[in-house]
Order: sequence, then C-alpha cells, then structure tokens
Amino acid sequence: MASDRPIIRAENVSMEYARGVEVVRALGDLSLDVREGEILCIVGSSGCGKSTLLNIIAGFLKPTEGRVLLRDQPITGIDTRCGMIFQEYALFPWKTVQSNVEFGLKMKGVDKTTRRETAAKFIKLVGLEGFEKAYPAELSGGMRQRAALARSLANDPEILLMDEPFAAVDAMTRQLLQDQLVDIVAKTRKTVIFVTHSIDEALILSDRITVFSSRPGRVKAILENDLPKPRSASAQLTPRYLELKSQIWDSVQEEVLQQIALMERIQR
Amino acid sequence: MRPKETAGGATRIPRPPWRYRYTAISAVSAICFIGLWELAAATGAIDPQFFPPPSYVWHELERLVADGSIFDFILVSTRRVLIGFVFSAGIGIPLGILLGTTKVIRWIVEPIISIIRPLPSLAWIPLSMLWLGLSEEQKYSIVFMGTIAPLVVFVTDATMRVDSIYTRAAQNLGAGRFRIMWEVILPGALPSIISALKVTLALAWTCIISAEMVGSTKGLGFLIWNGKDLSNISQVIIGMLAISLTVLALDTIIRGMEHRMLPWHRGQDKR
Repeated sequence: MASDRPIIRAENVSMEYARGVEVVRALGDLSLDVREGEILCIVGSSGCGKSTLLNIIAGFLKPTEGRVLLRDQPITGIDTRCGMIFQEYALFPWKTVQSNVEFGLKMKGVDKTTRRETAAKFIKLVGLEGFEKAYPAELSGGMRQRAALARSLANDPEILLMDEPFAAVDAMTRQLLQDQLVDIVAKTRKTVIFVTHSIDEALILSDRITVFSSRPGRVKAILENDLPKPRSASAQLTPRYLELKSQIWDSVQEEVLQQIALMERIQR
Repeated sequence: MRPKETAGGATRIPRPPWRYRYTAISAVSAICFIGLWELAAATGAIDPQFFPPPSYVWHELERLVADGSIFDFILVSTRRVLIGFVFSAGIGIPLGILLGTTKVIRWIVEPIISIIRPLPSLAWIPLSMLWLGLSEEQKYSIVFMGTIAPLVVFVTDATMRVDSIYTRAAQNLGAGRFRIMWEVILPGALPSIISALKVTLALAWTCIISAEMVGSTKGLGFLIWNGKDLSNISQVIIGMLAISLTVLALDTIIRGMEHRMLPWHRGQDKR
C-alpha cells in the first residue's frame, strides 16, 4: 500500500506565537514526509509542538514560515481530507452517536438515507452497534473515542490526524483501542499521523516513528518500525522490540532532560 | 425528575421512596406555618386588621373565586407576561447568538445594551405610557424592555462559553459559518439559554406587576394595588400568593419542556 510518493510533505515549517510578552517558538524549521497508507507516530516530550504540527496540517493554524503540501498542493485552509481525532473526543454532546457520525455527510449535503447507511457501516466497523441512539454522556471513554473515529471515517478523509487520542482512557481500554485502530486502518486504508507520548503505543501502532526534539520542535530521528504484524502483547517481549524501545528512549530522554533543565531555568 | 433511562433504554430505576418523605416533611411544615399564623391571630398576638389570619384570607379568596375575578386577573397577567416575553426571546436569543459569534456586531450593539441594562422596568413606564397610552401594548412593551437587555447579555455569554473544540471539530468535518451557528453554537449554548429564559421570565413578572400597579384596571398587580386602596389586606395577600403560585406553575411547565428540549441531559440529573 505504501507508495514512495509522500501524501503529506512538511517543508521547513516554523511556528511562533505570542504568549503574553514572550514569543514561543513551537516548531523550528521542521521538515517531514508522510507516506501514503502508513501509520506514522510522533513521539516527543510535552510541549514539543506535536499538536501544533497536527493543527497546521488540519488547517487550524497557519505556519509562520514554510508550508505543508497535501498531495503536492499546499494546505491553505481547513481541509476535510484531513480528519482530526481529538484527545477530548469532541463528540457533540447534544447529538446521538448516529447523528454525530452522520454530521460530516450532512454538511456535504448527502441525503438522509445514504447518510443513515454510511453511518451504520462505520458504527458497525468500530463496534458500537446498539448504541446508535445513545448520547456521548452515556458512553464510556473508550466508546466515545470509537464514536469519534467513526464520525471521522464516515466523512472519508484521506488522512487521520490523531492527537493523543487514547491518553484519557484506562490502560486496558487503550490496548483494545490500539488493536482496533490497527485493524480499522488496515481495512479502510487510511494514512494516519498519530501523536503520542507513549513509546509503547508508538511501537505497537506504527510503521514509522518520528522523535521530535524539545521546543522548538523538529524531527530528531526517524525509525522504521520493522516489528512483525500483528503485534500482540507478546511482541513486547521480543529482543527487537526492546532494542527499538531503548533506541527511541535514548533519543527522547535527551530531549526530556533538556526540557526539564529549561523549565528549571525559567522557574529560577 | 423522571426516572433515568440508560443507553440501552431497558433498565428503569424506580423513583426512590425517600423523595415522598421529603414531600411529606414539606407538607407538615406548611401546615404548621398556617396553624401558627391562625393561632397568633386567635390569641391576639397579631392584629387581624393589619395582618389577617388564614381564615380571613380564605374568606376573601372564596369571594374572588365566586365572581371569577381571580382567574381573570391571573389569565390577564400571564397573557401579558407571555406575549411580551415571546417578543423578548424571539429577538433576544438570535441577537445574543449573533453578538456571541461576531465581534464587530458585538462592538456595535454593546454600548446600546449597556445603557438599557441598568434601567429597572419601572423607569420605562412613563415613556411607554406617553407613547402607547394604557393599552395592552404598553404592558407588553414594559415586559419587553425590562427583559431584553439581560436576556441578550445572558445569551451572548452562553454563546461565547461554548467550547471552541466543538467548533473546530465541526469545521474539520466541513461545516461552514452558518451551519456551525445552527448545529453547534445554538445546541451547545441551549442549556444556558434555557436557564437565562427562566431567570428573565421571573424578571418579566416583576415588570408586569409594577406596570399593572401604576396603570391598569386588570391583572394581579392591579388586584394588589386595589386591595391597598381599599385597605383590604386579605386581597393584597391573595394577590401576592396568586403571583407566587402562577410563577411556580409556569416554572414547572418550563422544567418539563427543558427536559424534552435537552434530551442529552438525561442521565445527568443531579437532583
């Protein structure tokens, strides 16, 4: 599936914004290619601009310098080809699961019957049959995130931008969600950019892993994740897994230490 | 509140019996209060001329019920409140949403609202009388002027407090400006808007009562004022009780409507 032509190309992207009187440099001259059909995980210490990059790709933010290309075309505004999955789910609390999933199609002007059918298909895909009429408040965290995934998929984006989507659910649920995500992505052939601060999560999900440097964020290392699929829990015990994990950790650790040093300097 | 329904819709949790116990305690409390009041008059602790006991009030009530005037007055006042309030809500809610979402309009309208808002409804009575006479329209206008400014402020505030993540999610799914207002901002702000309506409806009652005291021959405000003129204190008390009970009844109706309008709030009741 993965072709050599990048579906997303970030070219020398810098992002600065004002916070009070000081200027925060979230991204500094970042360049990155995303291959079609891959799951690319971005790991890095908090505040390294991971989310900023996703927001730029989604079109919510405009980079201060540089540009992002989607299929060789620069991204200039909010683009429905890039579906965003937020950590806080962002399901509309006043809509049922069904209406939430139908939302994007409704915006496109798709007729009701088709909407219903498409929604049913994706609700089934994420395993939420029987909960069509439930409101988000009536669902568990894991179910909400699956509903959010279905909502995004129903809109048929080419790329899924996932911003620490499983950070708010418990460890058990998270593992299930990860398995499901890999499964669903394989079925729907989406490209995924997945931001996480869990190295384990990155190793389980990804085809490639990008380590971001601490602020200003840029690509510090890229690793091919050659662990055999499917990656069950036992994959985490193989020597190769541990080797990759320590490799990433070494890279991340430096950045975390730098980040901590920086914070201490600011406090003093 | 109604019994909860869970996601599957299958389980129904029955109303717990202690809720009835609360009702019973409240009833006993009310009966004791009335009993003490009557007793105080019977023993001469209070002068029935200045503070008539429940039996006097009951007598007066029978008279007002017999000639039908009490129901008439309740209906007249309620009608005035509701018509004025419908105008106020019909303009206030869309305007508030517009102000909450569009900065430029907020800058234009805010000074006007700021000038109107501190004015008590009584302050509008002279102008409204000069312009509209003692007509029904004058009563509606008092309700309208007394409620529009706070309502717009409440709705603007509710609109601005809708979490921007919903707007971003909607944009990401292809929603344009108008669709976001209709599909995201309005339902997102609806719980607060309904609260605002409840507060301003109570305000509407203070408006109409004062308007009726000053210039009307009908309505509960007139009933109270007329009771004062005749030194009929029982009538004054009945007028006051009638306001309380009517507002309570309207409140109950609104709460029922609220439940239906905010179906996603079921299962979140904390009462």
